[in-house]
Amino acid sequence: MTFLLQNLINALQWGSFYALIALGYSMVYGVLMLFNFAHGDVFMVGAYIGFFVSSGLLAVAALGFVALPTGVMLALILVLTLIIAMFLNTFVGMAVERIGYRPLRAAPRASAAITGLMIGIILETGNLALFGAQRRSFPTLIETATFQFAGVSVTNKKIMIVLVSLLLMLALHIFVRRTKWGMAMRAMAFDYVVVPLMGVPINLIALLTFGLGSALAAAAGILYGVAYPVLDPYMGILFGWKAFVAAILGGRGSVLGAGLAGFLLGFIEIFVAAIFPSTMRDLIAFSIILLILTVRPHGFFGEPYSARLRL
Amino acid sequence: MGAGLESSTTNRSSMRNRLSSYWEPYSQVPWLGWLVSALIATLLEQLIGTPLARVLGLTKPPALFGLVIMLKEPGLIPSALVYVLLIYLVPIGLVARFGASLANKVAARLLDYPVVLSALVHIALLYATLHLWSGVSDYRLLVVKLTLIAVIVTLSLNVVNGYMGEFSCSHPGFMALGAYGASVFTVLLFVQDSRFGPPLLPLPLVLQHVLFPISLIVGGLVAALGALLVAIPSFRTRGDYLAIISLAFMFIVKSLFENLEFVGGPRGLGNQPDLATLPWVFFWTMACIWIINNFVRSILGKALNAVRDGEMAADAMTVNTRHTKMVAFLFAAFWAGVSGGLFAHVLRYINPGTFGIRKLAEVLAMVYLGGLNSVAGSVVGAVGFNLLSEALRPLEIFKWIIIPVLLIVLMVFRPTGLIAFTELDVGELLKPKVKPEEEVEYAAATR
Amino acid sequence: MPLLRVDSMTHYFGGLRAVHNYDLAIEPGQIRGLIGPNGAGKTTIFNLITGRYTPTEGKIVLEDREITGLQPHQIASLGLGRTFQNLRLWRHMNVLDHVKMAHYSKITYGLMGAFFGTPKRTREEAEIEDESYSLLELVGVSHLADQIVTNLPYGAQRRVELARALATQPKILFLDEPTAGMNPEELAQMMEIIRHVHAELELAIFLIEHRMKVVMDLCQVIQTLVFGEVIAEGNPDEIRNNPMVIDAYLGKEVEV
Repeated sequence: MTFLLQNLINALQWGSFYALIALGYSMVYGVLMLFNFAHGDVFMVGAYIGFFVSSGLLAVAALGFVALPTGVMLALILVLTLIIAMFLNTFVGMAVERIGYRPLRAAPRASAAITGLMIGIILETGNLALFGAQRRSFPTLIETATFQFAGVSVTNKKIMIVLVSLLLMLALHIFVRRTKWGMAMRAMAFDYVVVPLMGVPINLIALLTFGLGSALAAAAGILYGVAYPVLDPYMGILFGWKAFVAAILGGRGSVLGAGLAGFLLGFIEIFVAAIFPSTMRDLIAFSIILLILTVRPHGFFGEPYSARLRL
Repeated sequence: MGAGLESSTTNRSSMRNRLSSYWEPYSQVPWLGWLVSALIATLLEQLIGTPLARVLGLTKPPALFGLVIMLKEPGLIPSALVYVLLIYLVPIGLVARFGASLANKVAARLLDYPVVLSALVHIALLYATLHLWSGVSDYRLLVVKLTLIAVIVTLSLNVVNGYMGEFSCSHPGFMALGAYGASVFTVLLFVQDSRFGPPLLPLPLVLQHVLFPISLIVGGLVAALGALLVAIPSFRTRGDYLAIISLAFMFIVKSLFENLEFVGGPRGLGNQPDLATLPWVFFWTMACIWIINNFVRSILGKALNAVRDGEMAADAMTVNTRHTKMVAFLFAAFWAGVSGGLFAHVLRYINPGTFGIRKLAEVLAMVYLGGLNSVAGSVVGAVGFNLLSEALRPLEIFKWIIIPVLLIVLMVFRPTGLIAFTELDVGELLKPKVKPEEEVEYAAATR
Repeated sequence: MPLLRVDSMTHYFGGLRAVHNYDLAIEPGQIRGLIGPNGAGKTTIFNLITGRYTPTEGKIVLEDREITGLQPHQIASLGLGRTFQNLRLWRHMNVLDHVKMAHYSKITYGLMGAFFGTPKRTREEAEIEDESYSLLELVGVSHLADQIVTNLPYGAQRRVELARALATQPKILFLDEPTAGMNPEELAQMMEIIRHVHAELELAIFLIEHRMKVVMDLCQVIQTLVFGEVIAEGNPDEIRNNPMVIDAYLGKEVEV
């Protein structure tokens, strides 16, 4: 029981990262019917932006203009880092759309997937070229405190990460359901051809979709940095591709589904690692996913939809 | 102002005219002529390459048409250019141009016999050129072999992503299955190995070479078996299903080999016998091109296009769509497996990490660079990508910025690749460009 | 003994009843029409008989053989050819290949022939090519054989589609609005071609049409479908004068 609970908590944290990234994939796939293969690397860029922003803020704070208790100061920096990095990463996402996807909107969808893949490689290599191969360690913004609870240990970091992720997902959900722009996105997802004719500005919606996803990816990157403070240029690859699979598992363009599938992937991985040798994690996790997809071809919440690559 | 504009446009068009008039004699050169010229150039390099390189201040003949040297040591650019000019461009140009009429006659004469003869002559010339060219250095040999292998894997992915119009991500996985399958076969049978023990079938080297194709076929069949696992769930429904399943499959295969201790786990598997010689690699590449080209030009193969462009119409026209897709997918996987087997025996060491996302990106890049639904495109894509990739090696990591940028630009302007949606008619390639009787008229007309 | 018989076929999409108790018997060589207002279920009936959907209830028999529940490609190769309402030609394929493709089920050279280009394959494909050319000639587009279909004018595309359907060597040909979107000249030509094909190949034809002139001129027996049910069946004169048909479908002001 303790074992179960403990891993459940770990899985919640691990799944938060997948869920946040998967949302970005799922929105692009849902609204524009495209694979954004650069998204994993956008996550990486978000983490790096978070690293630089928080380091900068820490340096400013060290100058001592504002006198605040350390804990409050660090929390403030974390919040500011989240906001600034999410904002900045929005532009990274929009740049990906503008460079790699918009020029190819009339082209076969697979070609756009290739440009996405290539932009991802550019982001990785660019990072490597700019900042070198050494890993960066994310500054400590929360002093770890561990609570014991019925034999289960919970850190304040884990609680924060899960809460912030859930909050962001809720915010996205409200945005998509309640605002005009969210409605336009859903309309586009419903009919890619007719809706633009109704006066919905397709370019703006596309930018918005990529931007929102990238903001969430930046949040995931920072939260990841808080939990595992080691960043390297290739951190986004495996994470991104797995989150991509989670997004599909959730169902085409389903925000709720992508979030849940992200958590599910987290659960599967944590429990596989807890029970089997950790090297078997990918093997078993992906086998389970393959099985799920075999039984439920359209994911959890996706409606049967037969899309073909437009050739 | 107006007059200036006019004269500049006339200048430009006259330049184009002049350029095309320079090119005109070369458009009369048949493939036979080009192959012979290339062979003569490589012969020339054998004879005077090294001394010429010394004279020009190069330590040895440039490995890849001087491209590597130019990026590494800009000071040597003139020497490298002169070398390329003297060894390749001028001889090839001269021989092609002035041998054109002879080459046309020979090509026409060859077609008096069964077409196989002409094809074999062309292939033999190509092989001789590659053999001589790659004989200059081990590095060249490696580049040639890896490029030929890339041709196989690119073609096989094009069958799925181009001809069939699905998006498959599992090719690295199929290559891995083929590589490990073939390696286990040869290491087990032919080699004394710390992991697999003494050879089960200690044969003399010559016989090992003879039996090498069996190992590749084993590798290909293992890959095809893996493809069956992907195909069964994927082709029940339509849509982007294959993309996801095949991606998951690729991760599973990689992770599987990382966990299989008897093939070395993450440390990899080495000690493959040195069987992947240039003749074998060349043979398999030619076989692959020939068989895949045969397939995609048959009605059974074109059924793939019908399935891609309209599945509903396809099965109303009696096409068994599911069967068609399954067969093509397994067929493609078989060739990916063969290429994996060759790859393992060229490098004589493999590890699971080789067959990951990076490999996938490379193979996809080659397919989309060359062009969808095109055999010629895949050959061009694989050769172009490999040459570019080797040539840009001195730039180190910046290579991985330049290549993606080039590909993005290409995708924006030609979303389906350089030579997309064409049919390769080998018979056309063998034909003379000008028939002997026309040549007389042509010569008279130009005089 | 009818060539094709459908017995009390009913089909539901979810809870919606699209076709109810549909009966059909087509005699060899007959030309039959199916008319009805938009959304009456005409194309659904085509899709049910050709195997696109499996009917919820009912039985379809083609020449003594029950074909209910078979795959579309199986039904097609048993001799039931069809065209589509909105041309479904293959974008990147030329005209000749379209017609050759429809010979798919007749191919016997197998995969080995396809891979290795055996003499048997060469021979078989050459025969198919000859047949394809003669079909293209029959519908009058053989001069366009090497054109990519998307470059052709609409009327020519329709003819290619017809030739392609004929290449499956059907005993019955299903035509789904063969003259949709055609101008009067193309229309006249198309009707001429259908008559010609019918006479030449001695096949039965079952067609959906919106244009009364086409149906009345071509068909021997016509069914009228409203909300998935046949409300009238008979020869053109009977249909023309059937008050239910006029009421439900043609409307009073339409001159037939």
